[in-house]
Amino acid sequence: MNVGYLFRELYYQKRRTLTAILGLSIGIALLIILNALSMAYRQAAHAPLQAIGADISVQRPGDVPKDLAGAVFPCSAVTISQAEVEKIKGLPGIRGMGEAVLLWVFDPNRAWIVLGIEQQNSVGPAILRSAVTEGRFFQEGTSEALVEAAYARQFGINMGDIISVADRKFTVVGAVDASRAAKIAVANVYVSLGDAQNLALSSKQLQSVSPFKPGDVNLLFIKADQEKITPLAASLKGILGKKATVATPDSFLKLLGSLFALSDKFTLAASLIAIIVAILIAFKTMAGNIAERAREIGVLKAVGWTNRNVVTQLLMESVVQCFLAGILGLLIALVVAFGLSFMKISIPIPWDMAPTPHFLPGGGDQIFKTLRLPIHVPWTLALFSFVLSVVIGGMTGALLGRQIAKIKPSEVLRHE
Amino acid sequence: MSKSTILAGEGLSKKYGTLEVVKGVSISVDAGEFVCLVGKSGCGKTTLLSLLSGLERPTKGDVVLNGKKINGSSEDELALFRRQNVGFIFQSFNLIPTLSAWENVALPLFPVKMTGEERKRRATELLTQMELGHRMDHLPSALSGGEKQRVAIARALINKPKIIFADEPTGNLDSATGDAIMDILNRLHKKEGVAILMVTHEVELAKTAERLIRMHDGEVIS
Repeated sequence: MNVGYLFRELYYQKRRTLTAILGLSIGIALLIILNALSMAYRQAAHAPLQAIGADISVQRPGDVPKDLAGAVFPCSAVTISQAEVEKIKGLPGIRGMGEAVLLWVFDPNRAWIVLGIEQQNSVGPAILRSAVTEGRFFQEGTSEALVEAAYARQFGINMGDIISVADRKFTVVGAVDASRAAKIAVANVYVSLGDAQNLALSSKQLQSVSPFKPGDVNLLFIKADQEKITPLAASLKGILGKKATVATPDSFLKLLGSLFALSDKFTLAASLIAIIVAILIAFKTMAGNIAERAREIGVLKAVGWTNRNVVTQLLMESVVQCFLAGILGLLIALVVAFGLSFMKISIPIPWDMAPTPHFLPGGGDQIFKTLRLPIHVPWTLALFSFVLSVVIGGMTGALLGRQIAKIKPSEVLRHE
Repeated sequence: MSKSTILAGEGLSKKYGTLEVVKGVSISVDAGEFVCLVGKSGCGKTTLLSLLSGLERPTKGDVVLNGKKINGSSEDELALFRRQNVGFIFQSFNLIPTLSAWENVALPLFPVKMTGEERKRRATELLTQMELGHRMDHLPSALSGGEKQRVAIARALINKPKIIFADEPTGNLDSATGDAIMDILNRLHKKEGVAILMVTHEVELAKTAERLIRMHDGEVIS
């Protein structure tokens, strides 16, 4: 192979070279962007639960008492028994589990959303320990409570105040900014899990429709091995019944409704189309190149270049073009990805995961988790696309080797 | 075949389908001899040249070039053989448009293992002989027809061939430039002792050769 000849050919045949490089680079850029978008949506789908350190949330829908008074369960989250919790803990792929009790408390002059949370747990709403903005976190067994900061401001609740929730007195010891937490963990009042369980246990209304025993809960948050989330979701439904609400990144992905979010098959098909288009562009350019240069190839053969010499020269031209196209494609993809990273997406939270009673003001509004599209181009994808580009160049050059071998110098060099 | 024969074709025929373009031609060229093959357009001269130079395979007959029977060789063996023994000059010059004059001259040496400087030195030497030392780095598009053909002659000589095959080398040139090219070929033949087999349809040009072979309808007539 003669390097000088190679670069002269690429330089002097600018139009041909640029067409090949641009065409292929757009194909490569498309491939990278499509896959990066798909990965970004998948990552975004983790966001609603990621804020409380979980991958899966579990609820069981049920009935609400006809007479809404005192502590009741929302219709979307009724009793999950301790026995069921133990069974779930034994499922393969579970790395951690948080428990909570969510209550609607209808007092004569106020309705509270009360969430009973654990003292210490990196999975589930106990993570709110780090979101205390004023005062301190409550201590177990002391009838202490935290109040959501905005709610406290709205209703003039201060540190040290005693609040009455379902006839139980709680001392407000801190305020929590839950605005950054998962919507599912947003409540007005946070008490210890034990206190919330006691509220549930002592509520006749609640017990009448959803029997609740010591140790039972109504919300579960699970941290799981990523590859086991899907089978785990199926196992959870097996334990809690088909009607159980098991929210996973996949279920949020479906709610997103984007083509990229909806289907792996779409991304795969679009990527394949991008690759095929890239190959066709490279092949067409190279084939056109050989057709245009038949006479030149005839000269090379006449003056003593073997087929191998000619094929190597043209193959390396193709590889260099595809190498440059790979770099350009990657740069285009990085620029587009940077632009797309400013795009905001809103993930709808299903109504049954919203803690606010739908019949209260604002309770029926659709809530969203809004975030910037977490798009980036992983180096593995960049490397794969770059290598693919060079391989396309090599393949194209090699495939056209046979065409080159068929060129007979005597035929193409006959004078006009 | 005498000891001094550099090229011999024996009973050469070439058929394209049912059309027989060359019909049982036998021909020989001695080392250092300047032979002209003349005949009207379409009489089979260029095909015969292609058969004798190993660019094309005969349907029948044998070609012996520099002592080697070449018609049984593979394409790549033929290419290597041409690189080492043969030079070509074409009517339409057939220079590579993206390479400079000296690179075009050095083209047969590109696949040969040698330094770039050595290639350039040999190309420069030949271009200087052709009085083109000042046009070394020019692209073919910047050269006149006569200059292009002189570059092509230098390319034909770069591998020190035993024989040069020239197919209508003056066909694309005006008469004065054509005469100049014929002078160069004659000088080369006399000074370097290179055998030349030239195809032309111009009998006047052919008269400068040592021997004339006339073709008509695929056959040698004299």
